[in-house]
Amino acid sequence: MKRFREPLFVLLLVFFLQSCAGWAKNKDYHPFDASGLDKLIPGKSTVAQVTEMLGAPSNIVKLSNGNAYIYRRSLSKGTGIWLLIVSFGNYDKHYDQIVIFFDKKNIMTHYGITLDAHKAAYGLPF
Amino acid sequence: MVSPFKIFPFVMYPFIVGSLITGCVSYRVIKAVEGRSVPDIFAEFLVGTTTLQEALEALGAPDQVAELEGKDVLIYQQSLLFNSGLSFGIPLTDIWGSGFDFSAYGELVRYDLVLLSFTPDGILSEIASEKGSRYPYLKTILSDKKGN
Repeated sequence: MKRFREPLFVLLLVFFLQSCAGWAKNKDYHPFDASGLDKLIPGKSTVAQVTEMLGAPSNIVKLSNGNAYIYRRSLSKGTGIWLLIVSFGNYDKHYDQIVIFFDKKNIMTHYGITLDAHKAAYGLPF
Repeated sequence: MVSPFKIFPFVMYPFIVGSLITGCVSYRVIKAVEGRSVPDIFAEFLVGTTTLQEALEALGAPDQVAELEGKDVLIYQQSLLFNSGLSFGIPLTDIWGSGFDFSAYGELVRYDLVLLSFTPDGILSEIASEKGSRYPYLKTILSDKKGN
């Protein structure tokens, strides 16, 4: 067992001398606050009230019976690990999204909300 | 002059061995996931019955919204990228002038998608779904079938 100690030590040293790791974080940030959405009432709230609360949308889409205002931001996290001859990379991107539907009179009819950006995580690709 | 191999054997040998090995063989795995997982909604969503409000409550905000032939289309999607590469080379450039290098790389992007189409009244008129993640990486990327 003793004779394997030295080669094992050398092997481990090689492994760590040639290794490195890195982390990255990217944000596509829009400062809308979704906490006041319950104050919006379908059938009553207007475009002006929505934009006053959430600001300018990221995108507006014309629909068959009105428009959809889309608010979106994202968070992505990347992990990279290089171990001698093997390298691993992992990239995870999630979104916070609010889509608000308005009729042709600019009255809010529905809205959908997904707040998933915080689920972006560092990790390995397995 | 005393050889550095005698003074720092645990530094010099690992350095040389490591440099040679990294020049010979390398394997890379990269995974990228964008968006949340797309649920299987066929059991609970019914064409002609489910409303836009119910869909938004169950699935949240869609990733894409569009109008298509008078109907409103909501798309929920998640993309999964998987990239792997294997490289084998013999770095002889310093002593030989040329080296051998064999490499194989592959990248596959799969999509999980749910498309919901609603009438102007907000009633579900069509469902389409694709679960790209069920296709195994190697089998899919090595397949020669058209469209696969």
